[in-house]
Amino acid sequence: MPDQPVPVSSVMLMTAVFAPVAAGIITLFLPRKRTTLRVLISLAGMALAFGLVYAQVAQIAPTSAAGRAGTAVIPWIPVLNLNLAFLADGLGGFFALLVSGIGVLIVLYARGYFGDEPDDLYRFYPTLGFFATAMLGIVLADYTLLTLLFWEMTSISSFLLIGWDRYDKHAVKLAMQAFYTTGLGGLGLLGGILLFGLETDVWRWSEFLPAAGEDSPAWWLPEYGEISWTNPMLGAFLLMFFGAATKSAQFPFHYWLPGAMAAPTPVSAYLHSATMVKAGVFLVARLSPVFWALDVWPWLVIPLGAITMTMAALIAINQHDLKRIFAYTTVSQLGLLMCALGLGALKYTDHHNNSFSVINWDITQIANHAFYKAPLFIIAGALGHVASRDITQLNGVFKKQPAMCITLILAGFALAGLPGSISFQAKELFLYAIYHSYQTIGSWWLILMAAAIVTAVCNVAIFVRLTTTVLGLPGGMTADMGCPAHDDHAHHHHVDATGFWGSMMWVPAAVLVAFQFIGGIAPGVWEYFIRPFETNINYEGFQYLPSLGYILADTFKEGPSIPLICSMIAIACGLILGFLPVFRGAIKDVCDQIYPTVYWLAVTGGRRAFMLVQTGNFRTYTVMVLGAFLIGFAGSVLRDPRIIDPVYEAMSRGGEFWPGILLGAIIIVTALALPLTDSRVVRVLILGACGFAVVGMYLVYRAPDLALTQLMFEIISVLLFVLVLRLLPRDESKSRVPRWWRGLIAAAMGIAFGWMTIVAATTPRDHTLTEGLLLGEMFARHSYKGTELTAGRGGGGDNIVNVILVDFRGFDTLGEITVLALAALGVWSLIPRRRSPKV
Amino acid sequence: MTFVMAVCVAVVFGVSIYMLLGRELKGLAMGVFLLGHAANLCILAQSGSPVLPDGEGLKAPPVLSHGDYEAAAHGGEALSRMVDPLPQALILTAIVISFAVMAFLLTLIIVSARKTNTLDINELGKEQLPTPSQAH
Repeated sequence: MPDQPVPVSSVMLMTAVFAPVAAGIITLFLPRKRTTLRVLISLAGMALAFGLVYAQVAQIAPTSAAGRAGTAVIPWIPVLNLNLAFLADGLGGFFALLVSGIGVLIVLYARGYFGDEPDDLYRFYPTLGFFATAMLGIVLADYTLLTLLFWEMTSISSFLLIGWDRYDKHAVKLAMQAFYTTGLGGLGLLGGILLFGLETDVWRWSEFLPAAGEDSPAWWLPEYGEISWTNPMLGAFLLMFFGAATKSAQFPFHYWLPGAMAAPTPVSAYLHSATMVKAGVFLVARLSPVFWALDVWPWLVIPLGAITMTMAALIAINQHDLKRIFAYTTVSQLGLLMCALGLGALKYTDHHNNSFSVINWDITQIANHAFYKAPLFIIAGALGHVASRDITQLNGVFKKQPAMCITLILAGFALAGLPGSISFQAKELFLYAIYHSYQTIGSWWLILMAAAIVTAVCNVAIFVRLTTTVLGLPGGMTADMGCPAHDDHAHHHHVDATGFWGSMMWVPAAVLVAFQFIGGIAPGVWEYFIRPFETNINYEGFQYLPSLGYILADTFKEGPSIPLICSMIAIACGLILGFLPVFRGAIKDVCDQIYPTVYWLAVTGGRRAFMLVQTGNFRTYTVMVLGAFLIGFAGSVLRDPRIIDPVYEAMSRGGEFWPGILLGAIIIVTALALPLTDSRVVRVLILGACGFAVVGMYLVYRAPDLALTQLMFEIISVLLFVLVLRLLPRDESKSRVPRWWRGLIAAAMGIAFGWMTIVAATTPRDHTLTEGLLLGEMFARHSYKGTELTAGRGGGGDNIVNVILVDFRGFDTLGEITVLALAALGVWSLIPRRRSPKV
Repeated sequence: MTFVMAVCVAVVFGVSIYMLLGRELKGLAMGVFLLGHAANLCILAQSGSPVLPDGEGLKAPPVLSHGDYEAAAHGGEALSRMVDPLPQALILTAIVISFAVMAFLLTLIIVSARKTNTLDINELGKEQLPTPSQAH
């Protein structure tokens, strides 16, 4: 389709995807000292991406049919089903705005964080741009394989950014840990996409998703609940989910995310809280409208999310390093998002007999987390700069850094999900979803609710401790609280920026956290902006985003609802726990040992296996090769027992020519006699006898040329052996090691080889090619005169074998002569001389 | 005939493997030598039986006689009474190359026996052989 003009929206979204990395590359050409210009160009790249995506979603409503259709295709590699097309539907469009929008703030924050350090900034902005492009690619790509491509790019950029300090071996190790873990998931995703694509021929998300308003899953899924374990769709889903679970740090793969905190804080705030780790959540949300129909979905996604959520919350409260605290709450929140998406597969029927999926406003859940977690990280990094990142060292820091601490407290308020922030509404939505799930999963919802309450309690307690600590109030953490936090070598010390750029250490956080409170206090504003992206607006009687006022009004009218009661219990317990002295240590996460253990097993086990196999002993290698061959042969015999038939057939016609049998007997007897004798001369003579019998066999097979050549070389060889025996030292007395295993392997190999000879020799030839039974029929026919095939040209010789050697396979003969010449040269150079000119 | 050949291949090949698995370098050289024989016999067996189907003696060698040129060019009867030329051509190359390998191997054995004074493979493995840079 080269003649058709490329559609505008495709180019627009493609430009949006590649703008950040292009801006990053441009900054590489600037002189190192031009930091301000560098910041502005990077900023422009992110802002351009944001603007273009915004223009697209403003033009075409993301959740409308047009928005879900994807843009027109720009062909790239059509044969691999890999083309450039983009899909800015509700999910993708929202994520793209989130990535580019937070990207703008992170560009500013990085300038404040790294200070006026040209080297770090020189490297940082292109890498950040690379990541932003990869992330935008994931969320906007329409082709499944294009998503995968960008997915792997985020793993690479994450690796580069975690191992930012190239001289810190610990950081590099953690970067590898993250890379291997998410890379393994990427392989799973590749497998899932390929399996799905090959099975259904669906390679675009826009074809994958059900059409707008259509509730039923696509045609390739069988009826609800009837999918069997052998269905490739199930395998495709499990593989893709594996990719999502590793990327989004679900238990037990969550260990890489706290490890990734070795990265500079702008990276942690951007990649490891707001965007990249949500790629898995994004993917699961992408898959959900179709794979919700799988009966395995709720039983896999919900428990995994719930376990991750609860476990990470309990670990988070037992950490001292601010970044580790926030890393574990991030894992916890990712588990919550997974769990919420898992709940979407469940149905609820209300008293008006309306049936709906219990998921509601999932984009709000995702946005909510980004709007408080990124600020928390930003402030953690800022505090690490000016004071310490260890919470026990931060007592009373408010007096010195009031702006940062206020932002921290506000973001912590949202972390706790207290009323007034959008986080509260999001938590209510989640609790409602759990509550509504009881119709499908029965009493299991109580366990889910308990998990949610435990998580909320931990988050509230963390908020309480953060607040009391920075304000220096009683109940806060103090320096004598047990052991100091584990130093993860990530204290990047930089020259502190002052003035405008210095304020960039906390202003981006304040901007982000402002959205939390705008949404919380004025839900109408939030709804105005977020609603166009939401596809799951399901609850009857819950059509409006529940503001505090709405819930209160509802409560006064009908009494408090169960989710609200649970929420209040959680807040109350959290406040109490926050002031209690328990759970204040700094514990280690058991799962941190997973990667080092696997690594150790691979390295040590690999070395052991190497020592076992690579003995350096020639005979061991021979036995291994022969053993592998024998196993393969035995396998093929077992697979097709009819392979024995040609042997009987050949046996019945074995006695057709008695001189042949005689010669064969001589060959066999001489060969068998060889290992039985000890005398060197006798052995050589036996070897010669065997060779001459072979010459006789050549004659029986009417091969005069072979017989002549073999005769000549046999004589030379025997002479050579005799000569060599004279030059060699005498035999030492041999130690009599048991030889039965040698004999066994030799006998098995001999039988296998003889058997294969019969099978190969008696297999019917392809009769379409050869009229007769000659393998060399073509050569025979062209030996003297040609045919039409060769335009009448032939070899012009009577002896077909000779014609083959010099005409048809002349280059083989040339090679043979070369081998002979090289061997002669080798012998000549190796042979010891009697009189050497030197030495 | 194919069966006789197969038994020959089996025995020669088995003996050569037995020799190759031994500890002694001379036996190893003989094993390599026998391996060549076994392979050549195996290839030769692929040309089928040299006995004519009606049992009237052996087929003709792959040499054309003067009257046969036209008949040979069109295949058919003249070729069906002749042994297969292709395996023979392959073996002819193989004989020469196996001889070259043989000669080189024997020379190597002589040289290593002179340097290390042993013909035992296990002993050779323990020798500290000079590296190329130290050899001069």
